[in-house]
Amino acid sequence: MLPSDTHPLLSITGLAVSYGTPRGPASAIADLSLEIGKGENLGLIGESGCGKSTLLKAVMGVMPDNARIAAGRIAFQGRDLVAADAGFRRSVRWAGISMVTQSALNALNPVLRVGDQIAEAIRAHRDVSRAEAWRRTEALLTMVGVAPERARDYPHQFSGGMRQRAIIAMALALDPPLVLADEPTTALDVVVQDQIFQSLRALQQRLGFSLLLVTHDLALVIENCERVAVMYAGMIVETGPTRDVIRRPTHPYTLGLKNALPRLGSRDEPIAIPGGPPDLTDPPPGCRFAARCPFALPLCRTEPPALTTVAPGRQARCHRAAEIDALAPLAALPQTWDALRDAPR
Amino acid sequence: MAGYLLRRFWHMVLTLFAMATLMFFLFRLLPGDPTATVISPSLYPKAQEAMRQQFGLDRPLFEQYLLYLRNLLVLDFGFSFQTNRPVFEMIQGRLLNTLLLILPSMFAAYLLGAVIGAIAAWKRGSAGEVGLVFTATALQSAPLFWLGMLAILLFSIKLDLFPIGHIVTPGLFPEQDWRMYLSADFLHHLALPFLVNTLYQLCFPLLLMRSTMLSTIGEDYIELARMKGLSERRVLFGHAARNALLPLATTLPMILGWAVAGSVVIETVFSWPGLGLLMVEAISRADYPVAQAAFLLIAVLTVFGTFIADLLCGLLDPRIVYA
Ligand SMILES: Nc1ncnc2c1ncn2[C@@H]1O[C@H](COP(=O)(O)OP(=O)(O)OP(=O)(O)O)[C@@H](O)[C@H]1O
Ligand code: SF4
Ligand SMILES: [Mg+2]
Repeated sequence: MLPSDTHPLLSITGLAVSYGTPRGPASAIADLSLEIGKGENLGLIGESGCGKSTLLKAVMGVMPDNARIAAGRIAFQGRDLVAADAGFRRSVRWAGISMVTQSALNALNPVLRVGDQIAEAIRAHRDVSRAEAWRRTEALLTMVGVAPERARDYPHQFSGGMRQRAIIAMALALDPPLVLADEPTTALDVVVQDQIFQSLRALQQRLGFSLLLVTHDLALVIENCERVAVMYAGMIVETGPTRDVIRRPTHPYTLGLKNALPRLGSRDEPIAIPGGPPDLTDPPPGCRFAARCPFALPLCRTEPPALTTVAPGRQARCHRAAEIDALAPLAALPQTWDALRDAPR
Repeated sequence: MAGYLLRRFWHMVLTLFAMATLMFFLFRLLPGDPTATVISPSLYPKAQEAMRQQFGLDRPLFEQYLLYLRNLLVLDFGFSFQTNRPVFEMIQGRLLNTLLLILPSMFAAYLLGAVIGAIAAWKRGSAGEVGLVFTATALQSAPLFWLGMLAILLFSIKLDLFPIGHIVTPGLFPEQDWRMYLSADFLHHLALPFLVNTLYQLCFPLLLMRSTMLSTIGEDYIELARMKGLSERRVLFGHAARNALLPLATTLPMILGWAVAGSVVIETVFSWPGLGLLMVEAISRADYPVAQAAFLLIAVLTVFGTFIADLLCGLLDPRIVYA
């Protein structure tokens, strides 16, 4: 393998993924570039259907039959996975990049013991005996706070929180440098969610894996990730250090997202962004956000903006990123968005 | 578990009791003299009268019913009109012949159906899979007797590979004892009905396995199994097939019903001296005691098979709790 320290852990460049649909190919991810360093936590946020899960599946290399990677590179420790042969691809799965899936509820096979499902991942990559894999499985469960004797149980005997912990144990089974987490706690109540993230952070301190955390929940990103990427309709529209991006967004969509959050101690009603995401089988020729953007110019409807650096470590995909300081106060006003709501489309 | 078994067993007994009762009244509703279902009309009137008393046919219906149940319990099915031999004696050997043909055949059909169905799902979209599904669907909807006759025409008459029916070459085993069942001649006779029945019964488990596998393939846990870096083979057979077996087990009772119906057809087409053929013969000759006993035994087989299938489901699915 190539020396990993000269390359970022994961580097995605110009990725495009489309799904074949009856109405033609849907561009679920377009021109997406992303980088995660060693030990770094990156949050990925965006509304439902913007392509977050699609991105993770493309990285894991498990896409449905109708999905196609149309362009781009996904380099893990410097080696491209898109062009890699199946053998190498499979060896990177789980041992290099593992994943905590969106619904732990359905991610465990109901008719197999939880322990067997973890041990199986170990034995797929390491030449160890059954007994040894089982011992490791019990140690992993203990590590995530599940009693080791529960390894013999079936998934339906686990509570939702325990299942999620089991999936995390599974994800850490081979000590991978990168863990992807797709809304790991959406199905759980807040208390359990907190506990799980606490132990996830503690484990990360010990094991030093990088985390790509996908969520709708801005609060989780603020607590757990030093950097954040905001996605809209298959594209990254803004990235940067989490604090900066949340405090002073440089993209109208991020401004809108922030408005939509209920603010503690504020009497302002949250403002929703009017409209919905564009039809991905026929994406707009210009900016994908143009139809919902209160600041759209005629240029925005014809020319797609590029992702450009707007400040050190910060990028935005907007023609008006430079004027954002003037636009931000306007974006905080409900009438700015209301105008859009009333206007004929 | 023990409590469940006991309860399930009790249900089985109740079902059988209900069936026996139904059978009693059904046979007494047959046209003609109700006593004719027990006493052969060909006997001398005197002998008929004696038997009428022996079987209690001069008593009220309810008493007859109790007598009938008592006789069932001690496996006394009366005497055949045709041969005047005890029905039980006639049925024993026939039951064995049926089981020897149907049990291995159903077992093979299920095993092969599940495996081929799983492979078909794995190779989904390939020309081979499309052809297989088409063939299986066509076979399944073809009448079984027609398939049997076609097989005889082709393999027995045209190609002369197999004998045309019967269990052994007539006259070869006048004793009809265990030596007959161990002979090559028996296997030679068994082969064609076995193959036809297996091929026919294989279609349902095959198609069911394939379609449940296909719907399982979209499940999250299959995706996770792939992401874990398991080989495609392991994902399909260790995860998807393991789950697809559940519907296969739950439909087993239904299939057993078909298997029994199928055995009647197969035995008739291949002149296989089993229970099914016995029943057909008995009905056509108005040999009611034999027909009734054959009916009952077939019902017992079906109910017992269902019982086994239920237990199997519990073994396959850890979510089923025997509470
Ligand atoms: N198998 C598929 N075939 C066709 N289109 C698909 C398929 N899977 C997803 N899509 C479409 O691709 C887009 C992105 O879906 P994706 O699941 O990646 O969104 P997401 O950001 O993960 O959403 P959520 O937050 O709801 O999980 C959506 O428009 C979705 O409808
Ligand atoms: S490019 Fe134009 S339409 Fe797109 S976000 Fe910026 S201002 Fe709005
Ligand atoms: Mg998703």
